Amino acid sequence: MEHSASAMHQSQQHAAKAGQPWLQLESIGKRFGSFQALQDVALQIRPGEIQCLLGENGAGKSTLCNLIFGVHEPTAGQMLLDGGVYQPQGPADAFAQGIAMVHQHFSLVSDLSVVDNLLLGQAHGFLRRGAMADRVARLAEQYGLQLDPHALISTLSVGERQRVEIVKCLMREPRLLVLDEPTAVLLPDEIDALLRVCRRVAAQGCSVLLVTHKLAEIKQVADRVTVLRGGRIVAHSEHPADELDALVQAMIQHAPDSPARPAAAASRSPRLQDEVLQVDGLGVTDVQGVTRLDNFTLVLNRGEIIGVAGVEGNGQSELASVLSGMSSPSRGRFFINGEELSGASPQAVTRAGVGVVPEDRHATGCITDLSLAENIFLNRLHEFQRWGCLDRAAMRAAASELMRRFDVRAASVDSRFGGLSGGNQQKAVLARELTLRNLTCLIASQPTRGLDVGAVQAVYGHIRAARDQGVGVLLISSELDELLTVADRIVVLYRGRIMGSCPAQPDQRARIGAMMAGQTP
Amino acid sequence: MSLSFLQRVPQPLLRPFIPLTAVLIALLFGVALVAATGASVSEALGAFAEGAWGSPYAIAASINRSLVFALVGIGFVLAERARLINVGGEGQIAVGGIAATAVSLYGGVADLPMGLAFILPLLAAALAGGLWGGLPGVLKVKAGTNEVISTLMLSFIGIWLLYWCVQSSALLRQPMSNSGTLPESLEIPSSTMLPFFFGDPSMPLHVGLPAVLVIGPLVALVLGRTLFGMHLRSVGLNQQAAHRAGMPIARTLILAMFIAGALGGLAGGFMLQGEQYSLKAGFSSGFGFDGLVVGLLARGSIAGVFAGALLFGFLRSGGIYMEMVAQVPSALVLVVQGVIILTLAAVTLINRRGEAV
Repeated sequence: MEHSASAMHQSQQHAAKAGQPWLQLESIGKRFGSFQALQDVALQIRPGEIQCLLGENGAGKSTLCNLIFGVHEPTAGQMLLDGGVYQPQGPADAFAQGIAMVHQHFSLVSDLSVVDNLLLGQAHGFLRRGAMADRVARLAEQYGLQLDPHALISTLSVGERQRVEIVKCLMREPRLLVLDEPTAVLLPDEIDALLRVCRRVAAQGCSVLLVTHKLAEIKQVADRVTVLRGGRIVAHSEHPADELDALVQAMIQHAPDSPARPAAAASRSPRLQDEVLQVDGLGVTDVQGVTRLDNFTLVLNRGEIIGVAGVEGNGQSELASVLSGMSSPSRGRFFINGEELSGASPQAVTRAGVGVVPEDRHATGCITDLSLAENIFLNRLHEFQRWGCLDRAAMRAAASELMRRFDVRAASVDSRFGGLSGGNQQKAVLARELTLRNLTCLIASQPTRGLDVGAVQAVYGHIRAARDQGVGVLLISSELDELLTVADRIVVLYRGRIMGSCPAQPDQRARIGAMMAGQTP
Repeated sequence: MSLSFLQRVPQPLLRPFIPLTAVLIALLFGVALVAATGASVSEALGAFAEGAWGSPYAIAASINRSLVFALVGIGFVLAERARLINVGGEGQIAVGGIAATAVSLYGGVADLPMGLAFILPLLAAALAGGLWGGLPGVLKVKAGTNEVISTLMLSFIGIWLLYWCVQSSALLRQPMSNSGTLPESLEIPSSTMLPFFFGDPSMPLHVGLPAVLVIGPLVALVLGRTLFGMHLRSVGLNQQAAHRAGMPIARTLILAMFIAGALGGLAGGFMLQGEQYSLKAGFSSGFGFDGLVVGLLARGSIAGVFAGALLFGFLRSGGIYMEMVAQVPSALVLVVQGVIILTLAAVTLINRRGEAV
């Protein structure tokens, strides 16, 4: 097996010199009902290359990956593998033909160990855990994937779980590894580690198709870049590092907003009695008795964006959870427009005019099996009641109006919410929360996580627009650049405590970084 | 398997197709089983037809049976919308029967005008069933108890409660006139019996039929078109997101279980006031579990409940008569039911695997 694999790699490297693509997509089209997801897409994968697929949400990147991996069948065009027709009958078939994919959402059993997860679906008869552990160790060394084969999945970080998924793919010795937005969930150092793994995988002769929208990653690893927009290929580059600007332009069509903030906003001085949110000594102690949030005190004014900075896991989730009514604080109180809401229900918080963008969209922000329209009005379905029944026609009409205003792209308002891309889902959540009738305060947690450049700009635009209309915004984010771009003021959380606060000026970066690391300013 | 063609059939056509296949396969299996026991197939089938639809009386008895299955099935489908599994139909029928008997005999309703004499016991039956179903809802909300376990356990409590009621003369057992008194209640006053639909005892179809024909579409409307229906779906799909969106989780869960139980209780009222007229041990006789199967077969659709209820109603009636006339054990009907469920599970599994890949 080892032998044949290395022979295969050699032949691939030989082909790589010749520059011959071994997987070719020719004028591929994919249609879902009346929605044309992909049109006339041509793509070549060469042996041992890292090709990046760049595109906004809904551009068709995931659809393209799913076609290659055999999840969907193309409705037009054909795929060629080694010159022969490639028509995978499903992921298992694609796997058998040397194509492996790591999805955005992992499929691991959290109560089993790494080795047991790898054995799932592969083992017959007796479980040879020892042999598998050895294989994991060999792969780990070969590709620089550090992994404890006997650790329980539930004890692993997101980055480590992703490594398990990658190992699962690499064990089958694929010729193409498809990674669908692998870095969206990772911390900066984990991203670097993943990119190094990609390099080593490619160096061994396996091609990598990397879906991403982070330009830094393209610069770091991409051999070639293909840009999708609206289901078509709009740009292609053989020298991506030199042509980044042009690629971004092609991806979003319009020039991205300059990160510089309008100067007026920063100098706006809050007037007295303008507080929309007052937090007084809020504390959260978890069931294990660990203090997660400690004496958090803050005043948020009308028309102001306060950013909460900090490395993740320093009390941000607990803060957002308490302020959105999902849990009760252990200590302290908070007020919205002077009304005490500590420990109130989510319903009461919403009624008081607080919009909430939850950090985990899938768990808390939406119900993926309901329609787009139902999700847009999830918190005020009762407004569409007429004679005891829901007026669905009115709901659809109102939803398509919001779809237009917030640029949510989907086949129709009746589309299943889970079928939308991440960016469109987030825009729909914003559409719901920002159109609360008496909106005075917005609590947004990691609102741009997993979104591409274009969608990120749209989210920033909506948050700024709300601020300009007088809404007070609490923006909780682990991305410092985001806070420096959008917020007026930044407070830094470290181990559940506010380490300090400062204006959101780029020259404060070092100071904020020090506070994030726990140093008092 | 060559079942991949199923994937090409549009879903709306497929939905009724799956249960129909299951039923057909099971019926064929049942016929084969009759033949295997050595009994005459034609004689058995003749007896079956005679018992199921051979006379106006047989048809009415079959339909009355179907009404009970339909009510329990409708309740099951409603609770299922919130991902709640109500397996407590048997106990809900039992407490419904107890309440209907108690109110009919000792509630002083016999002389009330305008049909109140039979309506009030029915309402009492529904209320009792509702409380019997609502209790697992409360337990689930307050203590996280799995409703499958609690409804099943309450079923047994309900059944034995009924035994106690008919065994103890301090409760519902008829007064001891002599030492031979059976352990059952007195017969309820005729004014509390459900009026016959055609006013004719040879076709004893009671007024439960129009009631169920109203309740079914009403529940379908509630599930599909109302805020409560949306709450049920949302709570079933993603409780956390529903909570964040301000939906009343606890109320929705408890109410869903209450309604499911109330429909089961009402079914118990129908059985007592429409057919049996006095409460005996073994009153619910498996109807609640059959109703549960009807609910499962319906795959979330009220129309499916009606179809399944009719099928099971006629199956049961025919099976009993078949035993009496052709000496084929009526347990054969249970076998057929079991095969329906197994076939359905298998076909669904194959179909789902087709979707996943």
